[in-house]
Amino acid sequence: MKHLRQIIAIFFISLTSTLAYSNPNKSDILNVYIWGNYMPNEVIQQFTKETGIKLNIAEYDNNETMFSKLKALKKSGYDITVPSSYYVERMAKQGMLHPLDKSQLTNLHHINPILLNKPFDPKNVYSVPYLWGSTGIIINTKYINKKKVTSWQNFWDPEYRDQLMILNDMRDAFSIALLSLGYSINDSNPQHIEKAYLKLKALLPNIKIFNIDTVPNIYIDEDAIIGVAWSGDYKLAHDENPALEYVYPKEGFSTWMESFVILKDAPHVENAHKFINFILRPEIAKQISLAIGHSTANKSAVKLMPITLQQNSVANPNQEIMKQGEIQRDLDPETRHLYEKYWERLKIGN
Amino acid sequence: MNKFTKYFYTICVYFFLYLPIAIVIVFSFNNAKHSLVWQGFTFKWYASLFNDSAMLRVAWHSLILGVLAATIATIIGTLAAVSLFRYRFFGKKILHGLIFILILTPEIVTAISLLLLYSFLKIPLGFWTLLLAHTALCVPFVAVTVYSRITTLDTDIFEAAMDLGATDFTIFRKIIIPLLLPAIASGWLLSFTLSLDDVIISYFVSGPSFDILPLKIYSMVRLGVKPEVNALCTLMLAFTLFAVITTYQSIFKKKPS
Repeated sequence: MKHLRQIIAIFFISLTSTLAYSNPNKSDILNVYIWGNYMPNEVIQQFTKETGIKLNIAEYDNNETMFSKLKALKKSGYDITVPSSYYVERMAKQGMLHPLDKSQLTNLHHINPILLNKPFDPKNVYSVPYLWGSTGIIINTKYINKKKVTSWQNFWDPEYRDQLMILNDMRDAFSIALLSLGYSINDSNPQHIEKAYLKLKALLPNIKIFNIDTVPNIYIDEDAIIGVAWSGDYKLAHDENPALEYVYPKEGFSTWMESFVILKDAPHVENAHKFINFILRPEIAKQISLAIGHSTANKSAVKLMPITLQQNSVANPNQEIMKQGEIQRDLDPETRHLYEKYWERLKIGN
Repeated sequence: MNKFTKYFYTICVYFFLYLPIAIVIVFSFNNAKHSLVWQGFTFKWYASLFNDSAMLRVAWHSLILGVLAATIATIIGTLAAVSLFRYRFFGKKILHGLIFILILTPEIVTAISLLLLYSFLKIPLGFWTLLLAHTALCVPFVAVTVYSRITTLDTDIFEAAMDLGATDFTIFRKIIIPLLLPAIASGWLLSFTLSLDDVIISYFVSGPSFDILPLKIYSMVRLGVKPEVNALCTLMLAFTLFAVITTYQSIFKKKPS
């Protein structure tokens, strides 16, 4: 019993110290809502050490989750979040974002200009690119000759029956069909969408799995030997299975980008700017890109990387390749419903 | 049933129940960051877990929350069960029914209602909202566990005690509590587990300042669950096993003196 009392006492002392830490409205903190595993601990610690600002990191696993939570709460207490391109557009349209004060972002010039001024946020009023990458094809060269796969169209070859992994994401899946038909990934023409749906339906016999969680495992363990993947995941997979190769399909590909935005009701706008400016430093951006595996939007950071990585066309593609990428945009609700209708039919195999 | 079928059946049940857990333990020693194929033995995920202050912090948060929510819920739930059994009061039947309804309510409904309530009352999301939500989640489970035990008690004991001059409080403290101790302990453990692994309610009512383990693990799924999580789960499993065995030894096995 005596021990129990001691344990309880220790518990309450540590409890009060934990709670003293966690008042969300104190001035020396910053509340970041970000993708899981998207900010290395070392970077967080260094920021706190330099500025005295404590970072509270909360994590989400997809844009929808993040959006619905922030939408449900007017004053959520979060300062910064990291939506994908098309969600920046949607959040800006709904007045959920705080315009950036560029005068506080002195490191903004390090960002690769090709990633700025994109249609989802012209002039970058609200967003600063963080990490980005492409959605391309992964093949396992142990089983497939690299020269044989050059385009999305190859997915339909009968020899890959029951071999493909397709990302379990409506937009990513439709992009394959739209691109192979020569349309834009943001196409809103109902006839084109129907054609894309029929095209995808014809692909079903070749699809082994629809998956979006922990994609590298599937390719490392050779559960699928060909399929779609994000360039960042390819890098992680290649580290453990060197037989994997990444292909930029010749019809083009979609480019994704996650950007920092400051929320409308952010309690710590100044700290938020400080943090974004900190992340924009080349050496920090380099550290993040190396730790997470996705490509950095920071062109000065690329120059600090080892030469082999600088020339790696997957991690740091040249301007020529980048131009073939198309960025995902927000769809108008009607088009989105049309896509959703076809997506559901596709998933039940109809 | 012959002996072979009996053993075979038992093995199948245990296999089915414990294989996933065994796999987590095995892979916490696997020398690979993403692969789910055995690549060799290593302790490095345990080492990196203890260097990962963020991960340890959220685990600690979850532990605090679990202990507090389970304790508060156990107190409220036990009192509710005892009063439902011993006393008559206005709305007793309704309360009894409501407790079962709370258990059957899908978590997502509870979660949304709580979120709306907090947002209506303008309570900032954080530790307190989580604690309140987890307590509310656990109370009915404790009440039901304790109530099912209390109905097996012999009411003559209470009357005998009253004959001998015991007050209601004395009966509660000296008779009811000791007799219900195993049920209270199971209620507490059940609540602790519920709180520790709740994702749905926590997701809606957690705020920026207080992140907890189930949400952290859940948010990792897209970009790959770190192997440190396997190590952490193994340690938590060891902790749970220890807690269950100690409780069992000290309460369930105790001979009435």
